[in-house]
Amino acid sequence: MATLDQKSPNVLLQSLCCRITGKSEAEVAHQFQYAVRVIGSNYAPTIERDEFLVSEKIKKELLKQRREADAALFSELHRKLQTQSVLKHRWSVLYLLLSLSEDPRKPSGRVGNYGALFAQALPRDAHSTPFYCTRPQSLALGYGDRSAGLSASVGTSGISSLGVYTLNGPTATPQSLLASQAPQSAAGGGQPLGSRLAWALPVSCSPSTALATLATRPPLGPAVPSSRAIRPRRDGEKTREVSEAALVRDILYVFQGIDGKFIKMSGQENCYKIDGKVVLCKSLRDTSSRLSELGWLHNKVRKYTDVRSLDRAFGLVGQSFCASLHQELKEYYRLLSVLHSQLQVEDEQGVLVCTESSLTLRRLLVWMYDPKVRLKTLAALVDFCQGRKGGELASAVHSYGKTGDPQMRALVQHILSLVSHPILNFLYRWIYDGELEDTYHEFFVASDPNVKTDRLWHDKYSLRKSMIPSFITMDQARKVLLIGKSINFLHQVCHDRTPPCKITPASTSADTPKDAAELLSDLEGAFQEKIDAAYFDTSKYLLDVLNRNYLLLEHLQAMRRYLLLGQGDFIRHLMDLLKPELVRPATTLYQHNLTGILETAVRATNAQYDNAEILKRLDVRLLEVSPGDTGWDVFSLDYHVDGPIATVFTRECMGHYLRVFNFLWRAKRMEYTLTDIWKGQMCNAKLLKTMPELSGVLHQCHILASEMVHFIHQMQYYITFEVLECSWDELWNRVQQAQDLDHIIAAHDIFLDSVISRCLLDNNSRSLLNQLRAIFDQIIEFQSAQDSLYRSALEELALRLQFEEKKEEKTGQWGVTAEQEAEEKRRIQEFQDTIPKMRSQLRILTHFYQSIVQQFLVLLMTSTDESLRFLSFRLDFNEHYKAREPRLRASLGTNRGRRPSGI
Amino acid sequence: MASAANANLNAVRETMDVLLEISRLLNTGLDMESLSICVRLCEQGINPEALSAVIKELRKASETLKAPENCTN
Repeated sequence: MATLDQKSPNVLLQSLCCRITGKSEAEVAHQFQYAVRVIGSNYAPTIERDEFLVSEKIKKELLKQRREADAALFSELHRKLQTQSVLKHRWSVLYLLLSLSEDPRKPSGRVGNYGALFAQALPRDAHSTPFYCTRPQSLALGYGDRSAGLSASVGTSGISSLGVYTLNGPTATPQSLLASQAPQSAAGGGQPLGSRLAWALPVSCSPSTALATLATRPPLGPAVPSSRAIRPRRDGEKTREVSEAALVRDILYVFQGIDGKFIKMSGQENCYKIDGKVVLCKSLRDTSSRLSELGWLHNKVRKYTDVRSLDRAFGLVGQSFCASLHQELKEYYRLLSVLHSQLQVEDEQGVLVCTESSLTLRRLLVWMYDPKVRLKTLAALVDFCQGRKGGELASAVHSYGKTGDPQMRALVQHILSLVSHPILNFLYRWIYDGELEDTYHEFFVASDPNVKTDRLWHDKYSLRKSMIPSFITMDQARKVLLIGKSINFLHQVCHDRTPPCKITPASTSADTPKDAAELLSDLEGAFQEKIDAAYFDTSKYLLDVLNRNYLLLEHLQAMRRYLLLGQGDFIRHLMDLLKPELVRPATTLYQHNLTGILETAVRATNAQYDNAEILKRLDVRLLEVSPGDTGWDVFSLDYHVDGPIATVFTRECMGHYLRVFNFLWRAKRMEYTLTDIWKGQMCNAKLLKTMPELSGVLHQCHILASEMVHFIHQMQYYITFEVLECSWDELWNRVQQAQDLDHIIAAHDIFLDSVISRCLLDNNSRSLLNQLRAIFDQIIEFQSAQDSLYRSALEELALRLQFEEKKEEKTGQWGVTAEQEAEEKRRIQEFQDTIPKMRSQLRILTHFYQSIVQQFLVLLMTSTDESLRFLSFRLDFNEHYKAREPRLRASLGTNRGRRPSGI
Repeated sequence: MASAANANLNAVRETMDVLLEISRLLNTGLDMESLSICVRLCEQGINPEALSAVIKELRKASETLKAPENCTN
């Protein structure tokens, strides 16, 4: 045997037949004929000649049988085989061995079944369709025929083409399943019943005829209709109806959303329906319907992603959502392709694959359960997210993550991490660089491009509330807004070009979705920390810049000193200097004159030691002149603010400051006036002692003056201590503790508001203010009245003295002529006549003044502000007014501490 | 020549041994002779699918032939 025997194939075949059957040559004639036929008809193999594939298959088989050692052994042997070059067609041999291999675990059921079956007589089934034992009674018959042998041992029906396959060779189409119908005609052939192997397949029964007969689907034999009683393991083994394998194939198409042969999408009902013409048993129908749900879900998700990917304005968040959906669908497609390949493998090697692993609808149901749940989640998400974009979309996805099912939660978390990745990117760019590139308006910080730099802090950036994702709290969102705003503020308004990385150590931004996922899983901790850190650093830096470069706090104090009359000596000196100027009518005043006087005052007092920056901003402003105004009415100090300071001291704030200044200036002026009055009184009292007729008038003057002094005194105390000092203290504390610019602005606004309301400058206290103004007017009138009184009195005094002097000069006591004396007496008489006039004038003045004060007190009593009520106590400490004013009596006594009720 | 022939023979024998081993592993039920016939057939270009089908049929036939014999016996 130098080489393998060169006998002809026929001879070999014959010897093979003899060998296997163990019979002599004559007896195996039939088999031999058959063998020749088979081999002759199938000359070319239908599968690829791939040795590697075959060896892999063998290994897989062995592993499936849990014979790992054997698999290793086989690998060894195969390797050895490969090294030898004796065999030329290794592939053939291996394939042959593989196809002949049997699982040792499996009982060779064939023999047993055959044994049982062949206890019955064979001939009965000669002409019936043998293969698919759907009918229990026909079971025996079916086994009488060779083909069904394999399927008998099969657990499920599966691809029952196995039997057919053995007859028809490897024409592995499902249609071949139905080729068994061919035997109808075939079985009737005149085969000797003795041949158990009823190779009833006539020569004519080639695959083509099998197909032809299939196409017609001839009605089944008489016994068929009763075959509805299917044995559970024989599902779908309906030769006449759609077989399960065909359904499986269809279902696999439906899974992808493509209409199958039997199962099509019904538009109006929006579901997959099995074609009505198809004859299908109920359980199959149900199972297919259940499975086609997956196709429906897939379509829904696919439609969404397709539509959205065309939408240009969908934004980054939406696109990442679509990308994540796509990913999930890809996984799904992968699974489908695995199923497809499984199907293909079975088709190719129907005989070889253990039918336990073949595809059936039931198996599909089980295997597709998890994907179904996933697809359901995705479809639900898609529904929920219709029409949303940006932060809204992220919120929607996040809300779906709040579920107890861990798989669903994991899936949604994954999608959420992808979806929120762009948002977190926006966020990091915003808080670390202050840049906002948001073409599709998805981020929750909105920038208004029309706003100029001077209003940058207040108006330019705002929160888009709808776009705040639900996993970011409002507080965090506000902080984020603030951080970005600060950076932009620094860049544009403060002209501070420090790169942001110096401000905050820029931690790694969310560059990858993985980072985003990590961040999302720890929203409370890491994310909050990041935001807080950025917030603190940025705000501190901003405040530093403001205080260092722009002297914010100094300016605040300067406002207090100058506009709120905090620098007493300066104000007094200024008033001293301005007094002669301001008495003149307003139209004659020139700004540069007043500015010069301001400079003088500054230089002469402690104000000169102030920061030059501050003094530069101090200025005089002349208000609008109405006719009849004196200088007092139009004079005002001013403080120029620009640049970043103007963010805190906005135009409204400056307006408020000026109003308060006006009020305080007037009050100060009253104080000043009364001081003058008192001075005058003190000086002249002694002088005018010699004129006893004046004493009554003077007494009245003194009383009125002291009343006024007391009043103004109390008012000043109230203003200075209760209003200004307290509010200022609060403001200062808050400013020192402020963590960011917003806090400072807010504290400042509160300060101004309280000052204004307490100084009776807001709308509620209009009446009080009017009263106060009236009082001030009265004081001024009194001053003028007193001045004229003193003038005339002093004139009189001077004249009298002159007269006396003349008298003295001439001749001692007798130096005055009679007519001179008479003249003198006449003059004195005249003078004394004017006194009652003065007296009455004063009385009127007093009366008027007191009535105004009483009204003022009544209003104070009924005010809502507690400090004002206390002011009224102080003003009327000895109940001087209460005695005169019945209303006061009633109100003071009974309503003390109670809410006023319509007095 | 002889050595070459011998070598060849040995190679052939080895190959057959290996194949037999594989066949045993796979539990094909082929004995040495059948296996050698099959190998020869394959080497001559016969379609292994068809061949395996034939063998299976033959086996089934032999079993069915045997069974009634047993029963009747």
